[in-house]
Amino acid sequence: MNRMARPHAYVVMLCTLMLSSCLLLAQQNAPNTQGIAPPPGSPTPTPARMTFFVTSVGVGKGGDLGGLAGADAHCQALATAVGAGGKSWHAYLSTQARPGHPAVNARDRIGTGPWFNWSFAQLGQPQNAIISADLGELHGDTLVQAQRGSNLFKQSARNEHGQVIHGMGDAPPIQHEILTGSKWDGRAYTDDADHTCNNWTSSTTGSAQVGHSDRIGNGSSWNSSNATKGCSQATMESNGGAGLFYCFAIN
Amino acid sequence: MTASDSIDFDFVTNFEQVNGVNYSSATSNGMHLLTVKQADNGWPRDATCVTLPPHLERYMTKIKSSALMLSCALLLASCLLLAQSPKPGEYPRGAKPSPMMNFFVTSETIGDGGNLGGLAGADAHCQTLATAVASGNRTWHAYLSTQARPGQPAVNARDRIGKGPWYNFNGEMIAQDLAHLHGDTMELAHQGNNLNKLTGLTEKGQIVPGLYDYSDPRDSDWDYAKNTRFSTRHEMLTGTQTDGTAFPDSQDHTCDNWTSNKSPASVPANGNLNAADGRPNAQIGFPDRNGGGSGSWNSAHGTRGCAQTDLPKTHGQGLFYCFAIN
Repeated sequence: MNRMARPHAYVVMLCTLMLSSCLLLAQQNAPNTQGIAPPPGSPTPTPARMTFFVTSVGVGKGGDLGGLAGADAHCQALATAVGAGGKSWHAYLSTQARPGHPAVNARDRIGTGPWFNWSFAQLGQPQNAIISADLGELHGDTLVQAQRGSNLFKQSARNEHGQVIHGMGDAPPIQHEILTGSKWDGRAYTDDADHTCNNWTSSTTGSAQVGHSDRIGNGSSWNSSNATKGCSQATMESNGGAGLFYCFAIN
Repeated sequence: MTASDSIDFDFVTNFEQVNGVNYSSATSNGMHLLTVKQADNGWPRDATCVTLPPHLERYMTKIKSSALMLSCALLLASCLLLAQSPKPGEYPRGAKPSPMMNFFVTSETIGDGGNLGGLAGADAHCQTLATAVASGNRTWHAYLSTQARPGQPAVNARDRIGKGPWYNFNGEMIAQDLAHLHGDTMELAHQGNNLNKLTGLTEKGQIVPGLYDYSDPRDSDWDYAKNTRFSTRHEMLTGTQTDGTAFPDSQDHTCDNWTSNKSPASVPANGNLNAADGRPNAQIGFPDRNGGGSGSWNSAHGTRGCAQTDLPKTHGQGLFYCFAIN
């Protein structure tokens, strides 16, 4: 064994050396943008004044959120867990019209703003804390507003813990597909196709419209980029989602 | 398997997550060869290499050095592949610009703040950088507007860059045409163009380091930031409104039509990045759509001034967009 191993010892050593140098190289300058914790230098979290977050976890049953009521309760529970339960939280979700039930527009459910993320800061301060001043800016109601976009982007769209949502280019699992069921103007779809996982009750068939919290993918919309391939948790997780959604405080 | 069998080094790569930690492992014919533990950010952090079960060790005597070298090369290649995941500022290994490339973010600043030598100087910078990566066969223009002056009409950035479609270093389409690039209709504006963190590449294929990529507070100090290609630099000079046209007002949005390297007489209050009477200023946008103001690619906010040292204070360095017009 020793007799035969020796001629290869140098090769193995060389291989190990090359590999380790390669790995060392890979370690250098590793970015920390996909941090689980807020990055160094971030403002002090002030959850009690937070009025916007992306859910850190989904309900766990894909597009079945228990309807709007279930989704709102999920927002409220997550907010309460970080000391922000003193406000009334609503999920940014639309539902489509059904016999006897008119459509509900996500934009009509979230108050009037302004909305702040976990690092509440005053209007005008460049801390990426303000998500949007009002409904018009959030949705781009005028052409200039639409061209500019709102202040909702990868680094500002944090979850209730202040964490960045993993997006394109980050380590898996990528979770940037955020359920909205909405058109880009924040309103419900009016056609017959399913855009809301059967008004947030289906974890099997159907589809939901999603936006991208990092504004990467099929354009750069935060609330209406593409449709999911299905409504199950597994389908969403294999396509860059996790059944997360946006929560806004209405007061 | 007998001692006379040759070992076929078919590599199987597995990715799995254990307790929230991502592992990549390579196996060959049932032999576990390599496990790479990935950090939160996706880059390899820790590895165990070439562990052979004892009962297989004796077969190793049948493997010639060349085979071992081959496996080593394969391992190295897979390792390099892992390391190739895009890191902002890093050069892609061995990659050359796509022949289709007719859009890039400048990899280097001119270095004199908002003084680019006018539009002509900025265009020449684009051309020089393109030529250095063998893309000088096209005619390159900087995406910059200038404001109207007595005897000189305004120039709109959108009128300087041809008709598209435009493609980046990797041959990925940034925008189909001028309307798609700028969002000329409500539909297009809401959809947005395809410029983002992963597509807004330099002529060398680098992702532009942006907000919190490395979180180094020294990046705001030009004397430090200029010495590393990893310093934050995602504010692109444009001097432009969202629709790609020049500002019509009398305030400075273009560092005096890209000839000024002046700092303001008084330091503006923190957060005031709007144009103000007499203050040297340039409008900027974010290729990564990821910055304060609005995340706009071409018109998010102004700067602290026009000196080179003013630009890093808000995560800029005086870079700009270059488009080929042919």
